[in-house]
Amino acid sequence: MTVSKIDPTHLGLKDALDLAILIEEEAEERYSDFTTQMEVHGTPAAAKCFARMAAAERKHHDELLARRRARFGNAPVRINRSMLWDVEAPGFETAQMFMNSRRALNVALTSETKARAFFASLIPNAVDNETRQLFTELEDEERQHQELLKVQLAQLPAESDSSEPHLEDPPVAQ
Amino acid sequence: MSGACNDPKTFKSDLKPIWCPGCGDFGVLQAVYRALAAIGRPTHEIAFISGIGCSSRIPGYTTVYGFNTVHGRALPIAQGLKTANPDLLVLVAGGDGDGFSIGGGHVPHAIRRNHDLTYIVMDNQIYGLTKGQLSPTTPKGETTVTSPYGSFEEPVNPLLYCLAYGAGYVAQGTPADLPGLTALIEEGLRYPGFAFINIQSPCVTYGDSEMQMKEQRAALRPLLAEGHDGSDRIKGMDLAQQYGRTLHTGVFYRNPTPPPTYDQLVRERQADQGKDQPDRRRALDRFAVRH
Repeated sequence: MTVSKIDPTHLGLKDALDLAILIEEEAEERYSDFTTQMEVHGTPAAAKCFARMAAAERKHHDELLARRRARFGNAPVRINRSMLWDVEAPGFETAQMFMNSRRALNVALTSETKARAFFASLIPNAVDNETRQLFTELEDEERQHQELLKVQLAQLPAESDSSEPHLEDPPVAQ
Repeated sequence: MSGACNDPKTFKSDLKPIWCPGCGDFGVLQAVYRALAAIGRPTHEIAFISGIGCSSRIPGYTTVYGFNTVHGRALPIAQGLKTANPDLLVLVAGGDGDGFSIGGGHVPHAIRRNHDLTYIVMDNQIYGLTKGQLSPTTPKGETTVTSPYGSFEEPVNPLLYCLAYGAGYVAQGTPADLPGLTALIEEGLRYPGFAFINIQSPCVTYGDSEMQMKEQRAALRPLLAEGHDGSDRIKGMDLAQQYGRTLHTGVFYRNPTPPPTYDQLVRERQADQGKDQPDRRRALDRFAVRH
């Protein structure tokens, strides 16, 4: 079997950066997929929220990649996507028909919460100070993202499920 | 082709899936990308054949060769393809209706011939694309648009069906356990012979509320955790009888000594015949219409 688990006690700084890059990449992909789904099914407000999340994950990914390159150049990558599933990416089932902004932001908030918990769980087992510092920094960034999402949620008008419009999908070519 | 063969993104096409948001098939698609990346073969060496239905759209969302065929006819086309070009890695996909109703008659023959195919059935127990009719795996008593007072019919058991006909690899997975599902697909692709993977892929629009992702996660019963190693076919059949009642995941049966595949036998026959083989062009010329 190719699927293998990440052993945090063996992650040095390079591996930790590579892991973080892949986590952001997976999250960006999933939010992009969700954006497409919402566009296809006529819920543009949710699509916009997911598009913003995808852009944020992409930005974070690029920052981490730049750091990795500056520090380790083109040193081989040992971490691969088979080692992680949905660390920061929302689960496939969290996308729903007729999503509004509030539901989309709640999906994002849940995802940031689980990502924060993941990085927090790595801190005690970090092999050295630099790696521990990175995990601490990543955990703190996820916390900040959570706060930002909470602010955005608070700014939304109160939700009324019964007022949700029933949207029919437009015909799609097979 | 572009991109590394061990990168799941290489296998993702630009076509946007139109499945309902939250559909289990999104997870299956991701597991297929990752399993193909684990196999590491380039896209031009892989073909993905499907029938008709929501799940049968899946080849279009990959970058490998694909053929969205006729309802229930994915297996015959895949068998022909594999026989004609045995070097291809051939996946076949469809839903429970496509596989066990419309195409049900093809499954035993693909199995008994032992074509080297990996057949993925996205079993959602409903005809989703046509808006919620009773399918061959719909549980007895289930209310659907064509069984408004509850179904009278016993469902087909896809696992027992394939085991009974002698499939060499029979497994069940769910997108509620994506690492496990990916591993099962990868193992099926590596198995030299007919491999069948039943995937409990919930329909979020017309499916049973008890079979949704969250409920499945709570009900998962991995076979490995129950001490089943997959080499005992009779034990596998015994466990498969619990289909519809217990959500077992993992390998029910994996033939420890796989017999030769159909395309291997064809090649052996061709080698045996050697020069005695009829000239293919001359054989085709007999059917040519000349003006």
